[in-house]
Amino acid sequence: MAAVDIETATVHPGDGHVAPDANYLVAERTLRSWLVTRDHKRIGILYLAMIVLAFFLGGVFALLIRIELFARGRTIVDAETYHRFFTLHGSIMIFLFIIPSIPATLGNFFLPIMIGAKDVAFPKLNLASYYIYLLGAAIVISSIVIGAVDTGWTFYTPYSVQSASAVVPMTLGVFVLGFSSILTGLNFMVTVHTMRAPGVTWTRLPLFVWGMYATALIQVLATPVLAITLLLLAAERVFGIGIFDPKLGGDPILFQHFFWFYSHPAVYIMIVPGMAIVSELIATFSRRAIFGYFAIAMSSIGLAVLGFLVWGHHMFVAGMSEFGTMLFSALTFLVAIPSGVKVFNWLATMYRGSIVWASPMLYAMGFIFLFTIGGLTGLFLGALSTDIHLTDTYFVVAHFHYVMMGGTVMGFLGGLLYWWPKITGKMHDEALAKVGFAFVFLGFNVTFLPQFVMGSRGMMRRYYDYRSEFLRFHQVSTVGSWLLSLGLFITAYVLLDALWRGKRAPRNPWGSAGFEWMTETPPPVSNFRETPVITRGPYDYHVATPEELATGWDEVADDEPGQGDKS
Amino acid sequence: MSASNAPATFQLPDQMSTVAPNVDFLYYFIYWLSVVLFVGIVATMVYWSVKYRERPGHRAVPTGHNFSVEIAWTVAPVFILIYIFYKGFQGYLDAAIAPPGAIEVRVNAKQWGWEFVYPNGGADNELHVPVHKPVKLIMASSDVIHSLFIPAMRIKRDVVPGRYSSEWFEATHVGTADIYCAEYCGGRSRDGSGNELPYEQMTGHWSMHSTVHVEPEGDFQAYLGSIGDKCAVYTVTGQPCPDSVLVSEGERLYTKKACSGCHTTTGLPLVGPTWKGIWGRQELTDHGPVSVDANYVRESILNPQAKIVKGFPPVMPPFLGQISDIEIDEIIAFMKSLKE
Amino acid sequence: MTNVSEPTNTRAELGGQKSARSSSAFLAHHFATAAQQLGAAKLGMWIFIATEILMFGGLFCAYSVWRGAEPEIFDQAHHFLSKPLGAANTIVLLFSSLTAALAVRSAGLGHRQATSAYLFATIACACVFLVVKYFEYSHKIHLGLLPGHCFGHPGFSEAMRGGREVGTCLRLDASDAPVMPEWLRAVDESGRVRVLPPRANMFFGLYFVMTGLHGIHVLVGIGVLSWVLVRNIRGSFSVQYYTPVDLAALYWHLVDLVWIYLFPLLYLVGKPE
Repeated sequence: MAAVDIETATVHPGDGHVAPDANYLVAERTLRSWLVTRDHKRIGILYLAMIVLAFFLGGVFALLIRIELFARGRTIVDAETYHRFFTLHGSIMIFLFIIPSIPATLGNFFLPIMIGAKDVAFPKLNLASYYIYLLGAAIVISSIVIGAVDTGWTFYTPYSVQSASAVVPMTLGVFVLGFSSILTGLNFMVTVHTMRAPGVTWTRLPLFVWGMYATALIQVLATPVLAITLLLLAAERVFGIGIFDPKLGGDPILFQHFFWFYSHPAVYIMIVPGMAIVSELIATFSRRAIFGYFAIAMSSIGLAVLGFLVWGHHMFVAGMSEFGTMLFSALTFLVAIPSGVKVFNWLATMYRGSIVWASPMLYAMGFIFLFTIGGLTGLFLGALSTDIHLTDTYFVVAHFHYVMMGGTVMGFLGGLLYWWPKITGKMHDEALAKVGFAFVFLGFNVTFLPQFVMGSRGMMRRYYDYRSEFLRFHQVSTVGSWLLSLGLFITAYVLLDALWRGKRAPRNPWGSAGFEWMTETPPPVSNFRETPVITRGPYDYHVATPEELATGWDEVADDEPGQGDKS
Repeated sequence: MSASNAPATFQLPDQMSTVAPNVDFLYYFIYWLSVVLFVGIVATMVYWSVKYRERPGHRAVPTGHNFSVEIAWTVAPVFILIYIFYKGFQGYLDAAIAPPGAIEVRVNAKQWGWEFVYPNGGADNELHVPVHKPVKLIMASSDVIHSLFIPAMRIKRDVVPGRYSSEWFEATHVGTADIYCAEYCGGRSRDGSGNELPYEQMTGHWSMHSTVHVEPEGDFQAYLGSIGDKCAVYTVTGQPCPDSVLVSEGERLYTKKACSGCHTTTGLPLVGPTWKGIWGRQELTDHGPVSVDANYVRESILNPQAKIVKGFPPVMPPFLGQISDIEIDEIIAFMKSLKE
Repeated sequence: MTNVSEPTNTRAELGGQKSARSSSAFLAHHFATAAQQLGAAKLGMWIFIATEILMFGGLFCAYSVWRGAEPEIFDQAHHFLSKPLGAANTIVLLFSSLTAALAVRSAGLGHRQATSAYLFATIACACVFLVVKYFEYSHKIHLGLLPGHCFGHPGFSEAMRGGREVGTCLRLDASDAPVMPEWLRAVDESGRVRVLPPRANMFFGLYFVMTGLHGIHVLVGIGVLSWVLVRNIRGSFSVQYYTPVDLAALYWHLVDLVWIYLFPLLYLVGKPE
């Protein structure tokens, strides 16, 4: 094991620069050093704190929705308040939580390390994008305080133009958040292109990096369209510019085209990072190189590209021509292929591997279970005739929760548990983490599985009240939401508890061959003691020796093989 | 091809239209395909995670390549997906294109109710159709986007302000089915001062419920007769419509045209002023004082934004093109009858 | 793209030794070489430009949808845009792009004063552009050629009462009764009287949003170029390092390019009279 005592690594004073060998957590300890840090790892942690708060806030609204729907009639609030609940749940979860979630936290932390770089290409821009996120979040929260929004997170016109609620502050807040997303994506793309260490060729990039790159591509190209859409909506409300208002000659359907042109690629911003984490987890916990590396990498790019071509499938009943609906339906089925390819490749990776049932692996397997359901239910919605029946019902609600929560959130939690030792230097309580997983998995299914059936039977979305035939379904779903919340609290507890009472983590507790595990745990400020020269892939379990997996690439351990000596 | 119409299953409602069997066939095809794939994937995953679990003496085998397997599982789904796409598109075209000679019913959607206007000019809040005859709904909204969904018929189409949209169906057996609004359109649950209304007075997207009554041809014709304007019988022969008929027709319109959603007859102000005692009163509007006479009532129905009574929000939708002169007279007569 | 090529150099620099780096004070600690840093900066800037193109792209998309739907409105309404002023603005911006490019060239040659002069000229042109825009906008406000509800309401008035403009067509309070666009009868730029229907508000909606968003980008460009000018005067740049000048000029070329598309689409395209 490395001889450096991470607890006593100190700062070199004088030039303001931190000694690059000091562990990044303790190198500088002032609050100010955190708030103006340029270190991508610290920025990732700053984001993580906000992302968790956003998830909690969005989750509170979710629980309120489910409580209101537990019984018919007025349960806890009136209809106008309920309309605000589901709008805020959606807007906060999408714009404050899930879009930044994996890229801004785990992506920020690990992308540079995984390519052997010292930081992202533009560290100051990285810090700026964090503060832009804070500004956007503040504007969104302020909109809640002054009356909130009741339009649904999709802001369809003309209702969003006419609604006497705080639409303008909410849209301006989301506009600002979009810039944070764009700048993160821009930073990641330039980093991957220009800052790879020697030997990190495109075919040796970890799949997590491929996923971040594909996500960055979408962030950069799609978010500007959301920006202009929201600007036009605000202009219509404030200045009466009638681009979406039929009374002034405008077209409400144009808004939907603009909105979904961003929001469909956005769902790939949400899922591709989750899939990228699953690739890492499956390889590590099968002790085996990922099967079909190139196919998985290309499928991430494929999702990014094809994702731009299918936005119309949200509008099959909105009034498009039959030619338009046909085109979008066909392309939607095409975009199903890359997702299927990934799932098959993950399974093939497990074949004849050596499977470890660690908590991150449980989340990875849970992802496969839940995302498969989510993806297959997408087939019902991609087919035109069944979509007519199912669109705008709870079937759609269940579908997107299965892919976004059963997919991305499972990937996120698995990634957090997997990389927590690396980030914090502490080991968490694995047994309790597995208990948390069980409640999350069980609670999630109890919450959302009934919603498919509710939807196909005729339960509409965004309904404050419902017919008596749906009562039992809603009650089951609400109880599931409590189980799910319990699991999430247990998992949060596990992560926080590790900070105070966790044992010191070994450098590579999971025995992964990934590049990020070849440096110290937690990493030094400059990520590696010496810039690595890579001579193997990140999943080469049968090239890397057990000693290398345990001790990494530091030259500190003299009698261990250094990173240049592999054949 | 169309199977016979099936009753409700656990997942799907009753089949009541000619397109429903095809939709359900595709639904169950995708469903069983999904079950097979899901069980296959999850069973394989669980089985392998147990069979190949880490234990002493067990080592992972290096990953190889198997190009033909990769091609196979990329290409094979394509054929299934093409089939699903094709069936879906076919069903969509069937549902989108109404057969010639369909009975046309106009639909007016507004916050928060439906109005169905039949070929004879009669209007109702519920949809009545004859069995075994195609009915085409021609829909318009006067305010925001709504969507008319009849689950039993498996049809749905957005109703967009500023344009007409249409959908059609042919009912296959007598009975009733639910009609829902499928596009979020807001709601009202508080009065002008922001106080919460009692639940029964809350109205909105969720409460835009109506019913389609599928009936035998004879019953349908009788229904059409009953909703026709009762004053028509008099005016068509040149006689004036008696006051009692005007008032009762006006009372019917008060509900059918959804005036009751915003105006009470009890004296309680709601979204709009109460009609009780309003006739002949002096009111202050945002364009000066008015006397509530026939001219003001007519203007308020056709172009409500012209003069809004002070203290009330400017949200009344215009009825221009949706109400006839005799119907305006009937409403006026009803209003007059609501003395203090 | 640029990759680190010499491991030994890398190790020496990143091992904390300052000697190899003291001459390159502009080289950030996380980059191995100046070439890598420049390559990263340029790629980043081009990606940013791509995002701007997509944002304006949405507006051009809306323009083409409306032009396709209402060609006669566009044809009638565009006569109210001053071709001479628009052409003048186009020439001003093209010239400013030239001075921006010359600024980059002279920065690369180390000619500090020439660089300052060219940057100043670019900024001055940008200001001229905005002044011309001010005159164009105020003339339209005066005539009532306004977007949305305010079309046909000169000076943002709600109504004309006895020759005076009273009230305001802007509705910031949802409880006020809405204002509708009106018919507009005015003299166009060629001296001809034209009558535009209320739904011509769409043309001016697009005009104001597109040129307005562009104008905001010009304003930001003035800020960015001014900051680069200040840094140049302070001597922050050298032959080895003038990346900010390069990137600022690139941004300015984008701003110019967007106008090159806006000008003909809004001002010039129409049926021959």
